[in-house]
Amino acid sequence: MNTKITYSEQELVALLRQRNEQGFAYLYDNYSGALFGIVNGIVTDKEIANDVLQNVFVNIWRKIDSYDASKGRLFTWMLNIARNASIDEIRSKGFKDSQKNQSLGENVDSIGVSIGPLVDDVGLRKVLTKLKDELRVLIDMSYFQGFTHEEIARALDIPLGTVKTRIRSALIQLRTMIQ
Amino acid sequence: MSIQEYISSGIVESYVLGLISDEEAREFEQMCTKHPEVLAARTAFELALEKQAMENAITPSLDVRNKIFEEISGTGKVVTMQQPVARKTNWFKYASAASVILLAGSIYWNIMLSNKNKDLQNNYNNSVAELSEIKKDIQVLQANPTVKMAAMGGQEASPTSFATVYWDTTSHDVYLMVNNMPKPASDKQYQLWAFLDGQPVDMGLIEITEKPLQLYRLKKAQAAQAFAITLEQKNRPDISKPAGTVYVMGKL
Repeated sequence: MNTKITYSEQELVALLRQRNEQGFAYLYDNYSGALFGIVNGIVTDKEIANDVLQNVFVNIWRKIDSYDASKGRLFTWMLNIARNASIDEIRSKGFKDSQKNQSLGENVDSIGVSIGPLVDDVGLRKVLTKLKDELRVLIDMSYFQGFTHEEIARALDIPLGTVKTRIRSALIQLRTMIQ
Repeated sequence: MSIQEYISSGIVESYVLGLISDEEAREFEQMCTKHPEVLAARTAFELALEKQAMENAITPSLDVRNKIFEEISGTGKVVTMQQPVARKTNWFKYASAASVILLAGSIYWNIMLSNKNKDLQNNYNNSVAELSEIKKDIQVLQANPTVKMAAMGGQEASPTSFATVYWDTTSHDVYLMVNNMPKPASDKQYQLWAFLDGQPVDMGLIEITEKPLQLYRLKKAQAAQAFAITLEQKNRPDISKPAGTVYVMGKL
């Protein structure tokens, strides 16, 4: 006999919309590890990563009504909340102060290839190491550090069109790597 | 650009990972509604990404879980009746009301018996024990926040019928309260069913007693999405599948 309750994504969303704590507990128990992995790919400090994960789940609880199933799966939505919260954290002043050695300064133009979290053994980052440097930098800056294509073009002094094409081609390669 | 070229241009991945302008995102969403193959490619990448994230999961400390639940607890919406906080309050009210009725019912029952039966003391002792058993059950239910309730409303065969299932999601105990159901004919009896993924699972036969609001303890349910009671022939050879009429039914 089935000893574990499993909810379909639809049922889970419905429970969350009713602010059902049991449904939320199920969500946490099933997805906190995966989302913590995402957070840890961006935020290196364990304590801060814990705080970010806490924010992520509180935001999922509060903002579930803004989840639109026609735009993607629930996990994708949560993943993007986790990624955005992590990026907000590493870009916030507090984080920079606590990470003085790796501080970037406010100016986007000072971005270099080596900045940002350097853990290469977590999740997508591990996959990323297989990309060519010129592509890896772009994914690192856009996905893991949240810079816009324009900011990257300016920082690396390459045309905007090239940034876009390279990111797309890097993503196509990433896709084949994770499948 | 053909649909295939569009799909393999990297737009799918850019959209899912949020590396796309708002304008491109809107365009992509329209493509998804117009072309099922675009939507399929998006879902496939989302699933691959989810799988990848699951494989690289890092278990956070229990402390984080506790803090989150501390922060969200009691913040449910007030407008929705189904929300857990309101339901919990209703449940406590209901449970205390029910225990009062149970107590009253049991005392009434005792007096009736005492008039008819010389063995007053004996019966009294029995019913006190029984009452304390029921009270204990109610206390278990009350003290346990993981207990879910399914209010089962009357179906076509008996629209005024009503019964309630309390299911403890941790211990998997199932309690049934028959609020209002007709007394079955002598050759028939009620049977409780749990529904798991649309399939009925036998939860046990119910021996209806004369006592009002009797709380019955039935078989344990590992998982269930809904419960129902059917009226069945007594001594049926195979009781693992329902054969009779549905009287009440309700979702958890």
